[in-house]
Amino acid sequence: MGNVVVWVIWLVAAAACLFTGVRVVIATSPFSSALSLIGNLASLATLYLLASGEFIAAAQILVYAGAVMVMFLFVIAYLGGRADAPWAGGTKLIQAASVVTASALMAVTLVAVMLDAGGRLSDESDVDRAFGSPAEMGRLFLTDHLLAFEITSIVLLVAAVGGVVLGMRSQAEALADAEEAAQP
Amino acid sequence: MIFGSWVCLLAPLVGFLAILLAGTRITRRQAGILSTTSVFVGFAGALVAFFDAWGREPEERGELTTAWTWLKAGELEVGLELLIDPLSLVMMLVVTGIGGLIVLYSNGYMAGDDEERRYFAYMAFFVFSMLLLVMGGNLLLLLVGWGLVGLASYLLIGFHHERASAVAAAKKAFVINALGDALLALAFFLAIAKVGSLDFGVVFEAAESGELSDTVATLVALGLLGGAVAKSAQIPFHTWLPDAMEGPTPVSALIHAATMVTAGVYLICRTHPVFEAAPEVQHLAAILGLITLLVAGVVALVQWDIKRVIAYSTMSQIGYMFVGAGVGAYGFAMFHLVTHAFFKALLFLAAGLVIHHLSGEQDIRKMGGLRSSMRFTHLTFLVGTLALVGIPPLSGFWSKDAILASTLAEGGVLGWVLYVGGLVGALLTGLYSLRLYLLVFHGEPAAQAEAPHAEHAHHGEGPRSMTIPVAVLAVGSAVAGLLGIPGVWHPFEDWLHDVAEPLVEPSTRQEWLTSGLAVTLGVLGALLAWRAFKAGRELVPDGAVRTTLEHKLWFDELYDTVFSRPGQAIAVTLRDRFETPVVQGGLDEVAEGTLRGAAATSAAQSGLLRTYALAITISVAVLALVFLVVR
Amino acid sequence: MMGPGIPWYLAISAMLFSIGVAGVLLRRSPLIVLLSLELMLNAANLAFVGFSRLFGEMDGQVFALSVMAVAAAEVCVGLGLIVAMARRNLALDVDAFTELRG
Repeated sequence: MGNVVVWVIWLVAAAACLFTGVRVVIATSPFSSALSLIGNLASLATLYLLASGEFIAAAQILVYAGAVMVMFLFVIAYLGGRADAPWAGGTKLIQAASVVTASALMAVTLVAVMLDAGGRLSDESDVDRAFGSPAEMGRLFLTDHLLAFEITSIVLLVAAVGGVVLGMRSQAEALADAEEAAQP
Repeated sequence: MIFGSWVCLLAPLVGFLAILLAGTRITRRQAGILSTTSVFVGFAGALVAFFDAWGREPEERGELTTAWTWLKAGELEVGLELLIDPLSLVMMLVVTGIGGLIVLYSNGYMAGDDEERRYFAYMAFFVFSMLLLVMGGNLLLLLVGWGLVGLASYLLIGFHHERASAVAAAKKAFVINALGDALLALAFFLAIAKVGSLDFGVVFEAAESGELSDTVATLVALGLLGGAVAKSAQIPFHTWLPDAMEGPTPVSALIHAATMVTAGVYLICRTHPVFEAAPEVQHLAAILGLITLLVAGVVALVQWDIKRVIAYSTMSQIGYMFVGAGVGAYGFAMFHLVTHAFFKALLFLAAGLVIHHLSGEQDIRKMGGLRSSMRFTHLTFLVGTLALVGIPPLSGFWSKDAILASTLAEGGVLGWVLYVGGLVGALLTGLYSLRLYLLVFHGEPAAQAEAPHAEHAHHGEGPRSMTIPVAVLAVGSAVAGLLGIPGVWHPFEDWLHDVAEPLVEPSTRQEWLTSGLAVTLGVLGALLAWRAFKAGRELVPDGAVRTTLEHKLWFDELYDTVFSRPGQAIAVTLRDRFETPVVQGGLDEVAEGTLRGAAATSAAQSGLLRTYALAITISVAVLALVFLVVR
Repeated sequence: MMGPGIPWYLAISAMLFSIGVAGVLLRRSPLIVLLSLELMLNAANLAFVGFSRLFGEMDGQVFALSVMAVAAAEVCVGLGLIVAMARRNLALDVDAFTELRG
């Protein structure tokens, strides 16, 4: 009984994931794409939960959906109408090639997965309650993967600085502003 | 003796390097003083060595001193060694002594020239090279000196490089000398192959003991002779010497009269065992000398340039030396070398005084009557001329006649031919020398010569730096011959006896007989020239003969047609057929191919990010497929 | 484990990834391209988490967290670029920037 419920939840979440994913790529307005991505993130979080990744699921919602997507929505709001652009780019040939390549990539990966589906990939290990918990995650970050932890923090710092720099008003703009302010 | 010799060799080198490195930090005068001093220090060293050797027993006068092993290749070992023996001492004294006087003279002659420092550096370099040549203790060092004097000659002939004629003359001299060097080198290769060494002792022993087969000895001797003929401007490699008069007069005096051109004679005397092992080649040397002697003598009769007359005279006198060496009279050949150095240098330097006085005029048709305006020069020039003709008791008399007497002593067909030819040469010498003297110093002054150079109005015929060497050389020309009075004493010949034993020894009777004939013929030639001069006509009347002589027997034209033009044609053909299309074209094609390849590749850089991303994705897909398949 | 096995997660991940690739290659607005990029990153995260569950080691989840952090940083800079472009009144069109050509 419990298994069936899990299966149903899983299927629904997977379907939602794929559907919103396609919508992100296809939608004309960036706003729709962003909202679809939020939906995608939510369904992914569900999938993480089903795979015993509780902390990851929570982090997904908090960080991704809560911070990154909000950033996206801010920018889309700022850009307003300027964000609309023609749908697809490149020559017809390149468009066709892109679709073909993406499909090929998917086909190859799926085949690879299916070939191992019965063998190694079905040999799941048993996990205890601590698996996926924040305590365990923290322990790993501070012992085995300390370097990754530290470097990631540096990357975030660099990104923050970069964001500020990119957002600064240029000299020309500052001058223009000063002129405007000087004119009555 | 060793110490003195090293000082002698290295002093001019030090002088050269000092002037070279000091560059413009020293004045031109200082460069001249430096150069002169270095050569005279060399002379002092040579004197020290000479007196040391004089005090020894004749057997002990030769010494070989090695600085270090220079070259070692398999079994061949060549050391940086000097051979100091009576023969080299004679040359050392001549080179540094007369060289020093000429460099001193140059201080006055070249004053005011823009590039004096370069000149004096080259002069010191030349003296060093010549000393290396004569002091070299093995054939390789001799060759090094040989090549270096060729280089010095090139540099000094082309000293006035702004003159195209000077540059051409320098190239001509160098090319012909290079031919001689090549022949010399071939001889050395053969020597190395057959004997295994280039040391004098080893090679000469092999030649004397008969170890070398006849063919080998002949070939080696031919190579040596070829080099000697080119360096000493004997026929057929003589065409460069008259052109070499483009260089400054002191250069002509030093290099093309006193020292470098006599290197060929020195070579034959030094390597005489090889020549003695190949007597045909030795006789060939004598014959070439005879031909040169006569040809140069007649060509000198029609020359109008004062320096060219003296140049042809040099060629002729060296012909005498070759005759002497060719019959085995090494001592007399060297004797004539020494006396000739004195009076030929004297003639050149005195001519230089005349040229200087007339502000660069060298055509004797524009000279004349300088007897009264240049008394000192006139006197010294006369001494030189009489020495050249061979009037007793001046030096030329003793040395030239000794050679002629040796040919008489040689006997046989060769000896008689040489003897008669030599006597005819004496007649010719009288003719051209007196013609020159009379045209320059006697008669009416030519219109242009009326006004001598204003600068010289206050210091007479020339500065003391120029007149003193001329005076010294005049004295030398007068008395140097007294080192060999037949039947009375012959210290010079004895000095060289152990080093180069003569093959023939003329008796006293032969010597005095020859002298009588030679002097008579010389005086006869002088009288004929006097008569022609008085009558105002040339010795050689206009006509086919004169034209041939004026074209120097068409040698230049012959060499041009046979060697120069085909050579240029071949070079042009090679350039057009091979180098431009194949070599240059090949490189061009490579460059063009690279450019085309680059252009084609750069078409892939469209700038569109989309295409880049697509390319990356395609590669990923392919890689995934590969991994899947290979698994 | 209850529910579908790991291969199913990986299949979803593969499909999501290729959808993201198609989006990056096809769309012209840089904003949508960035969103598609996020899609790809999330697909990778899913694969990480799936494998982590398979092996019972939490290293995969640790890495997934790092990916999230880096994705956040990248989005920050990317959006900053887009805003800067908009501020300078440049067309928000990926095909318009062709100066990196050979």
